[in-house]
Amino acid sequence: MWKSTFIILAVFAAALFAIIVWDVFKGRRKKTRYRLRSSVTSYLMLLPAALLAFLFIMLPILYSLGYAFTDYYLLKPDDIHFIGFDNFVEIWHELVSKGTIYHAILNTLFFVVGVVPLQIGLALGLALFCNRKRRGVKIFKVCFFAPVVISLSVTSYLWLQILSPAPTGLLNSLLSVFGAKPHDWLGDPKTAMPSIIVLSAWQGAGYQMLIFSAGLSNVREDLYEAAALDGAGAWKKFTCVTWPGIRSSFVFVIITVFIGACRIMTQPMLMTGYQLHTVTLSYYMYTRGYSDRWVGLSSAVALVMTIFIGAITLVQRRVFREKA
Amino acid sequence: MKKKIKSILAAALSAVFVCGALAACGGNAESDAGEVDETGNTIVKIMFHVDSKSAEGVAYKKRIDAFNRAYADKKIKANASYVARSTGASNYETDLTNKKTEGTLADIITFDAPNCAAYANSDILYDISDIVPAETQNDFISLNKYDGKLYGLPIQESSAGFYYNKKIFREAGVDVSGYTVENPWTFEEFRDTCERIKNYCSVAAVDMRLDANKDETAPYLLYPLIYAAGGSFASEDGFTAKGYFDSDKSYDGFNFIKGLLDSKYTSNAIGATDFFTGKVGMYLSSGWTIPDIENDYKATFASRDDWGILPYPMGEAKASATGSWCFGITDNHHPDKSAAKELLLWMTTPESAKEITDATGMIPARRSVQTDYEKGSPEDVLMSQLKTTGKARPSTIAYPKFSSAFNLVIGGIKNGTDLRSLLSTNANELQTEMNKHKK
Repeated sequence: MWKSTFIILAVFAAALFAIIVWDVFKGRRKKTRYRLRSSVTSYLMLLPAALLAFLFIMLPILYSLGYAFTDYYLLKPDDIHFIGFDNFVEIWHELVSKGTIYHAILNTLFFVVGVVPLQIGLALGLALFCNRKRRGVKIFKVCFFAPVVISLSVTSYLWLQILSPAPTGLLNSLLSVFGAKPHDWLGDPKTAMPSIIVLSAWQGAGYQMLIFSAGLSNVREDLYEAAALDGAGAWKKFTCVTWPGIRSSFVFVIITVFIGACRIMTQPMLMTGYQLHTVTLSYYMYTRGYSDRWVGLSSAVALVMTIFIGAITLVQRRVFREKA
Repeated sequence: MKKKIKSILAAALSAVFVCGALAACGGNAESDAGEVDETGNTIVKIMFHVDSKSAEGVAYKKRIDAFNRAYADKKIKANASYVARSTGASNYETDLTNKKTEGTLADIITFDAPNCAAYANSDILYDISDIVPAETQNDFISLNKYDGKLYGLPIQESSAGFYYNKKIFREAGVDVSGYTVENPWTFEEFRDTCERIKNYCSVAAVDMRLDANKDETAPYLLYPLIYAAGGSFASEDGFTAKGYFDSDKSYDGFNFIKGLLDSKYTSNAIGATDFFTGKVGMYLSSGWTIPDIENDYKATFASRDDWGILPYPMGEAKASATGSWCFGITDNHHPDKSAAKELLLWMTTPESAKEITDATGMIPARRSVQTDYEKGSPEDVLMSQLKTTGKARPSTIAYPKFSSAFNLVIGGIKNGTDLRSLLSTNANELQTEMNKHKK
């Protein structure tokens, strides 16, 4: 392990050195007045950040990339073999035989499709509400943001009480007033994922609300006045003034919410356990890597997931950039 | 001048950091048997899976302190660390595997019995067949073996059964005094009892703990029912699941559980305290529930006349739950296991077994520990069931996958998925896992 770390570190150092030499060489070729001393200083100042980024971001990614092509078993760290694309073949076989990963992908897609519009819509609605210049709005802002600062584990346990299948569960008790029978919200495949979507949107929307609020504060007041003079109604003001003003915030929010949604794991892990109707790709990856101890296979899933998320994110950026 | 002072300060600060780093790198000397501290004691490191402040943790701590006093002259000192095992992301196992990767495994670890095969196969555990004297081995109710070699000594034993509310049974006019460990009830008699008491229970006749399928609890409590139906989970060598996990007999076992749900004898909507507050007639659990009933639910169960434990029902065979945590010596970087052996034997003496089980309410792992359980008492039912019908969970390197497959089947039963296809899919995935290990 140390050997490979040193090799990667050496490659990193060589790459950094090559960039510096190329920079110096380029400066001289362009015959610009090149100050070697200030250039070296700037690179030295960059070095700690580059080193930390390498150690804590690049190195794990490179290792994970490498492990994806091995049979690394967590309990046998000294007995790792290169197995080519075997892990990917296994993933494929499990997928076509509708095994656990098939359900994990479907559940993740269902969650993403459900939570992204709900969370963003909720955040935008809350931001518009809090943007109104009225007394006491700040209190609402704090209340809406409060779930964000609570740990996801705590929120999950709180919602477990709300969604308890027992007749004494909070939601079941409330519904029993209207004559409804107790329901197993997290055990029933039809209601489990929607329940997790609602909880996740509730928990996360406060953060995106702040981003939208920042965007809304940048929309000039005189634009609304001009629109009003032109006879624009509330909807017209929103589509022609507000929306263009918060478009860049929206692009940022949609990309970050999408990436966060793809990585969902804590809620199903704590609320339902490893079940076919709630297992997600990240949870599957964790279980295969830590519980079943197949780090190689888990890394292969991570690689596939990274490529998938990266591709969609690029498409999102492209789509929104073209329209901007 | 200012510059000079700055330089001196910077140099001094650097020197402090370097000295600090060097001091951190330094430590105890190493011998073949373990680290040696400055007073010449050989340090034996031991890692526990519980919080040091829990009742079990306190019992371990007392035994460690007693060991350190008794072995002070022999210059052996135990150094304990406690990593509480949590639900879901089980910290203890993660820490253990991380330490294995780092090469810093403690000399002795505690491990859950089903992990024995995987840990032995991965050289985490050391073969203690020759370390533990034969007469000591014979005194244990069960031993943790893999491939014919001994790898672990149980800390305590466990068994489970059906806790029942005697008041409800009396009201329903149901007499279960004839259902003993020697003469257990059948699946049919179990269903019949549920039918007769269900109208006296406001929530359900029996809590089968189907909600406990987030971790090892559901597999531990429910697997004997599959054995009792004549089914099994894997071949003897632990490398074949197809034809075992999804066999007709295993199907019958799982179908018994499904039938209880379909007949509304049990339910998904049973609250955690419903049995303890008199809303459910029976409750499947292990011996650890005895202290809970006696200490926390006196309003419902004022005395032992109000509750009891019934054995597992039988089908084609008799089977009951077994297995608990064990002590094992690790195959770490210390080749001389003599000091670790002393601590292992100390922690498993009858005195240790008594002190630990007094704290946990579990069954002592050694036969020689005097247990004066009254005939027919809950403890006596569990103890005699363990000795006569106890059957261990499957011994396989792929145990984590077995556990998740079992939980997925229970989850499927709860939400009405076709049982045959559930068993077939999970048997296939388990088989794939076993094939990978076979390579």
